[in-house]
Amino acid sequence: MAQSFASVSSAVRRSPQMPDHNFRYWIIAPSVFLLLLIGLFPLIYAFVVSFQQITMTDYDTSFAGLVNYQALFSDQRLWESILHTIVITVIALPVELILGLALAYLFLEKMYGKQIFISLIVLPTVISPIVSGATWRLLFDQRYGPINQVLSWIAGREVVMLWTIEPILVYPAILICEIWQWTPFMFLILLAALSNVDKSLTEAAELDGAGFWRIFLKIELPAIWPVMAIAILIRGVDLFRIFDMVWALTGGGPGTYTETISIYTYVQGFRQFETSYTAAIAFLIVALMSFVVTWAIRRMGLAK
Amino acid sequence: MVAMSSGKREGRMSLLKKIALTASAAIVTAGLTSAAWAESAAERAVKEAQKYKGQTITIVWEAGLQSLDPLNFSGPLWEKLTGIKVKVVEVQTAEMFTKIMQEYRAGTGAYDALNVIPAWMPDLANAGALEVLDPYVQKYGYGDELQKIAATYRDNQMKVDGKIFGFPDDGDVFVMYYRKDVFGDAKVQEAFKAKTGRDLAVPKNWKDFGETGAALTEILKPQNMYGAAFFRQPPYTMFMFQERFRNEGGKFFDAESMKATINSDVGVKVLTEMRNENKFMPPGVEQWGFVENLAAFMAGQTAMTISWPPYGRWAAGYGTDEKALSWVPKSTVAGKVGYAMPPGGHPELAAGFALSVASTSKNKDAAYLFIQWLNSEDISLQRVKLPTALRDPFRDSHFTDPGYLALWPDAKDYLAALQAGSKSGLLDLSLLQTDKYEEVLRQAIGKLWAGEDPKKILDAAAGEWDAITKKIGVDKQKAVYANWASKSGAYPQ
Repeated sequence: MAQSFASVSSAVRRSPQMPDHNFRYWIIAPSVFLLLLIGLFPLIYAFVVSFQQITMTDYDTSFAGLVNYQALFSDQRLWESILHTIVITVIALPVELILGLALAYLFLEKMYGKQIFISLIVLPTVISPIVSGATWRLLFDQRYGPINQVLSWIAGREVVMLWTIEPILVYPAILICEIWQWTPFMFLILLAALSNVDKSLTEAAELDGAGFWRIFLKIELPAIWPVMAIAILIRGVDLFRIFDMVWALTGGGPGTYTETISIYTYVQGFRQFETSYTAAIAFLIVALMSFVVTWAIRRMGLAK
Repeated sequence: MVAMSSGKREGRMSLLKKIALTASAAIVTAGLTSAAWAESAAERAVKEAQKYKGQTITIVWEAGLQSLDPLNFSGPLWEKLTGIKVKVVEVQTAEMFTKIMQEYRAGTGAYDALNVIPAWMPDLANAGALEVLDPYVQKYGYGDELQKIAATYRDNQMKVDGKIFGFPDDGDVFVMYYRKDVFGDAKVQEAFKAKTGRDLAVPKNWKDFGETGAALTEILKPQNMYGAAFFRQPPYTMFMFQERFRNEGGKFFDAESMKATINSDVGVKVLTEMRNENKFMPPGVEQWGFVENLAAFMAGQTAMTISWPPYGRWAAGYGTDEKALSWVPKSTVAGKVGYAMPPGGHPELAAGFALSVASTSKNKDAAYLFIQWLNSEDISLQRVKLPTALRDPFRDSHFTDPGYLALWPDAKDYLAALQAGSKSGLLDLSLLQTDKYEEVLRQAIGKLWAGEDPKKILDAAAGEWDAITKKIGVDKQKAVYANWASKSGAYPQ
């Protein structure tokens, strides 16, 4: 029986109809082709379009050289939108990380109803960002929103705070919404990471007299770092492309005060119909993101 | 000879017969023709459209209340009369231009008929997205009824370069609504006189409006009432800026150089006054949109406001019991509302809609006949009276229709205000890529509420307008602007 199986197997291997080396490639070829079609083709097409002058009303596909890329440098609104994005990222990311870590530590301890609390904390992350932005917009509303009403009760007089209008309040409003929604994401990941830290090491360190910070920096942080780095990277990239929540909350306003790079790209592409210029912006973002992510991966030691 | 004369006689008789027959035929034909032209445009559209029975036409309509008209009224009625189904594609206003252009570029023929904001018409027509309607108007005898559309809309919102691209179908105009009971209250009048030294009256200019609004707020504050409030969100205020700027004598561009002149002293004055007015309006008015402002007026919290015509109908309580209008706050001011022209006397004909046929439609005749029928005297009158509809009177006959005049006690004043607005109204700026210019204004309003200096805001806005003009082509845009500026509703006459 074994002999006959071996001979069949050998026959199959030698069969001229079935070249064993290339067969696996033929099997995956349709998937690869499909992926290239939906992934690479649009990228190449957008690259070509970025050298043309296509707008919604003028379908000029002639080669226009670097005119769109040159325009990027003199586009003040573009660079301001990148600055706004960076401001949101550099504030929200550390706050979410610290709050998420603090919550994770809290929930490491045994407590009554722990699973229910975790479920409740995680709820904001399952809401669509555009819904959370719209909801917070209502919460912040001067006429109907409960936030100003509560503040008025506390102050004992009518408090007028135009969260989506006044420049001094509009970023705090965005950050509150953003941190409320995405801190639970950090919390969940860090809770999982901290739960896997070897307890014997921390207990031994405690017995040796090490304090909380020393244990955290020398034992726990190195242990959870690969997971934490991934979480930071994911959230960092998410924050850089933040669109829907800000769009629903402020629409990029007042004026262009809170216009992020994604909002600006959307406005140029789908409101102003500057198709070729938008393609150039997209490539600028791709270049920027590639550089930042590559740098971050190296710095975080994730490429090892 | 006899035979010959007999033959001649027969020939003469035959000729006479022919003449008689021809004359009879001519008389019958003339009779039939005159009978045909005696038909209304709506009847003619229905008769012609029956040839296309079984077809389906797709029309783009603004999402929400607007689309209840074709969904619940005109669409089903058209299908019953002609056998042509109407598919309504509901699109948010902000997305309508994009959707229409995308479909045109794709050339799928997905849309047959379109709702088009008149300010977009040059862009859509120049791109080739709209069908020229002149041959259809001729073919289906719509010329006479088309002429009966109120002159401002007919002469200004229908053509591009002398060709018809759409039928004006919505008499959108800003109207000032004020509380007659407040303005007629002797105690308020006395307090007002004591404060300002003049008699209380509905303001005719913006200086008066500022003084009246501020004084009324002081007088009425104990009753939790404000002198005035407006929608202040940038998309609405952008229209109000256009109106006030021109009422104060501002021009958008230098007609020779095509340089933007919105940053003139007039522009700065208008922005400065607009921000100052917020001080006597309810706190947070900067965040108010259409609904917030409506709610405050319906609740009796504001003595004056400016908005589109539906405010007037709903404030009178007309149609607000309809399920579709359950979101509209119940009016506490029915019977107390007066209607007037906004200060300056030249209201903005803000937005509005025209009906067009998509150039890529595969059912152009059926689509055309549907819009002719919708826009006709008979059907449009029914449509502008729909309690849930947002289509406002736009034909001379709408303003004087006995049925409409009897809809609520003050309907005659309401219609008189709309008619006055239709005569003195100002067109929205309409250029190539209008939305880019409007977007700059919207951003400017946002910056104004954020506290930036009006002069700085307008200098930056003018710079952005110049950059847009340069990119489009100064001469190209100059020609379009000259054409727009020559229209009767471009600037106050």
